[in-house]
Amino acid sequence: MNSLLNTPTDPFVDGYAAIKPLLDIEGLPFFSSLREQAIRSYQEFGIPTRRDEEFKYTSLRALQEKKFKFGFGANVDREDLVNFTLGLIEAFTVSFVNGQYAPELSSHDHLPKGTYVGTASEAPTELHGAIEAQFGKIASLQGRLGSTNDERFVALNTAYLGEAAVVYIPKGKTFGQPIHLQYITSDVSNGTYSTPRVLIILEENAEAKVIESFVTLKGFGFTCPVTEVRLAASARLEHTRYQDESLDSTHVSNTYIYQETKSIYTSNNINFGGEVARNDINAFVDGEYCETWLNSANVGLGNQVIDNHTRIDHAKPNCQSFEVYKTILKDKAEGVFNGKIFVYEDAQKTDAKQTNQAILLSPTATMNTKPQLEIFADDVKCTHGATIGQLSEDALFYLRARGVEKSRAESLLVYAFAAEVLEKIQVPAVKDALEARLFDKLA
Amino acid sequence: MLTISNLHASVEEKEILRGVNLTVKAGEVHAIMGPNGSGKSTLASVLAGKSDYDVTEGSVDFDGKDLLELDPEERAAEGLFLAFQYPVEIPGVTNTYFLRSAVNSIRKYRGQVDISAKDFMALVKVKAAMMELDPSMLSRSVNEGFSGGEKKRNEIFQMAVLEPKLCVLDETDSGLDIDALKVVANGVNALRSPERATLVITHYQRLLDYIVPDFVHVLVDGRIVKSGGKELAFELEAKGYDFIKEELAAKA
Ligand SMILES: Nc1ncnc2c1ncn2[C@@H]1O[C@H](COP(=O)(O)OP(=O)(O)OP(=O)(O)O)[C@@H](O)[C@H]1O
Ligand SMILES: [Mg+2]
Repeated sequence: MNSLLNTPTDPFVDGYAAIKPLLDIEGLPFFSSLREQAIRSYQEFGIPTRRDEEFKYTSLRALQEKKFKFGFGANVDREDLVNFTLGLIEAFTVSFVNGQYAPELSSHDHLPKGTYVGTASEAPTELHGAIEAQFGKIASLQGRLGSTNDERFVALNTAYLGEAAVVYIPKGKTFGQPIHLQYITSDVSNGTYSTPRVLIILEENAEAKVIESFVTLKGFGFTCPVTEVRLAASARLEHTRYQDESLDSTHVSNTYIYQETKSIYTSNNINFGGEVARNDINAFVDGEYCETWLNSANVGLGNQVIDNHTRIDHAKPNCQSFEVYKTILKDKAEGVFNGKIFVYEDAQKTDAKQTNQAILLSPTATMNTKPQLEIFADDVKCTHGATIGQLSEDALFYLRARGVEKSRAESLLVYAFAAEVLEKIQVPAVKDALEARLFDKLA
Repeated sequence: MLTISNLHASVEEKEILRGVNLTVKAGEVHAIMGPNGSGKSTLASVLAGKSDYDVTEGSVDFDGKDLLELDPEERAAEGLFLAFQYPVEIPGVTNTYFLRSAVNSIRKYRGQVDISAKDFMALVKVKAAMMELDPSMLSRSVNEGFSGGEKKRNEIFQMAVLEPKLCVLDETDSGLDIDALKVVANGVNALRSPERATLVITHYQRLLDYIVPDFVHVLVDGRIVKSGGKELAFELEAKGYDFIKEELAAKA
């Protein structure tokens, strides 16, 4: 049929039958039927084009053209970790290379009773029920207001689901160490693709800090991660995702969060890498008195495209959300911000604040911003503000009047613009390392 | 040290300074007073090199250099310091980092090597103590979330660290409580020396009790219309600006 319509075949569909049996060895047994359903849903939509509203500004032609191959294991040594900004931070680490679990790069410390951080297949059997109950259920827009068709990459990820990472913190427990989920691409076939998958469950009143990092050791890749987060009542998660893949890589991620009463979710979404980086972060706030913080710092140079889509569904009353997205663009880089906030009929007293700021350092850099507030309740406070521009003249003059040279004052202000977001990260080692990396990226 | 001759400046085609003449010698303290909108901050901004203002006529000589030819950072490096009427907030840049960049940029301009981290911290500590500045403010972003009074105090703290030749204070006293006013005045006086000079812009005679001027000038409609000793400040405080305007009208 494809040939009749004269459309190119989809590389992710064509090779699937051969890879499926290899996938079925990985993860938990129930993954197998998820994969089967997912490849069918993916096939319905395929690779998006710019005619698809949700991908209007971001071309994913590379996925059609670059002939990415499914990633199998590659050797990455502990010594290689020094190459990565967060490679050596002290954390409970679970590493994956080309999507495959890398035990030699992971922590094997004893975990407190009832807590689990590791692969799905090694999870204790008493957790299997909890995993199966949530897995794939959070990453869905089914039945949501104004649903869009951008779930295709969730389907692609699930179709190629191999091993998954699971973080499970039981009721009332705080995981003391930061948890680092590290995804390394070490290209073995001139374009390697991988589909990292994470499930984070924080039970009632549990607390954790999770960092996901996406980096490239050599070559380039296509990384298509899906992370599902479930926060039970009063749970608190700081969730930092740091994407710094090589500048010819493609990154298309989906993060879905489900929040119950009084839970606090903080996202720090940091993007320095990728030729094309597209992130969707969707928070469904389904309990009262929740807080949702979405922070983001992005730097695009050269021909980089950085596209962030966020969506907050306020389904219950008395919740607050604060969103601050910042982007620095230079050369011919392009940025996209699409921020959707839905306030459901029941969600009275919602307080949602969205800001999106971009600094363009070259006349050829472009930023496309689209805030989308859809409010169906009457007693709410929702604000959004977007600024796209150059550096503040007043701040620049202030620095220069104190003796700081113009060029240095400019770079200081550019740095500060993004550093303001990094400063919020509550894991000092991560904050410091990312600030240093930001400094290098801008140098 | 500073010779301003027939200085005219406009913003957006509107002439604000209309022929200012002023000479400040080393060791002197000059006060400039004048009604709102008369051009005091404009004069300070033109001296510091803000690009919003077009200088259409006149010249400014600063220790033998043509000040108007210099970039703002060069003016600072030559020893000019402006304490802003409205200090700017700079989120994401800590006070310490900012000041160290300033100190090192100025040192570079003067052909000196960077100050060591240790010496810098020692210097900052001494000056912060003198300005009774809470040390936690040093690690906060420049002026961000500072109260009005804290911002002013922070300006004088920066001045104390940079030790300029010519200090221009633009309404540094406004927004300060009585105790803070004394601290700020002490900071300014600590810098007084035969090699330095100070230009104080203020609306209130009160500040001049603490920073005692050698000369007081009155700026009206972009011109210095009257100069005198410190007693002129008392006269202005008592009578307001009307008597000067009347004098002017009588002359015209
Ligand atoms: N950037 C600008 N754009 C437009 N007008 C300006 C600008 N800067 C100053 N002005 C105008 O120039 C005049 C002088 O302003 P200036 O700030 O110098 O007064 P000032 O004497 O410092 O007053 P104040 O005592 O209220 O501080 C005012 O009418 C002001 O509105
Ligand atoms: Mg003024």
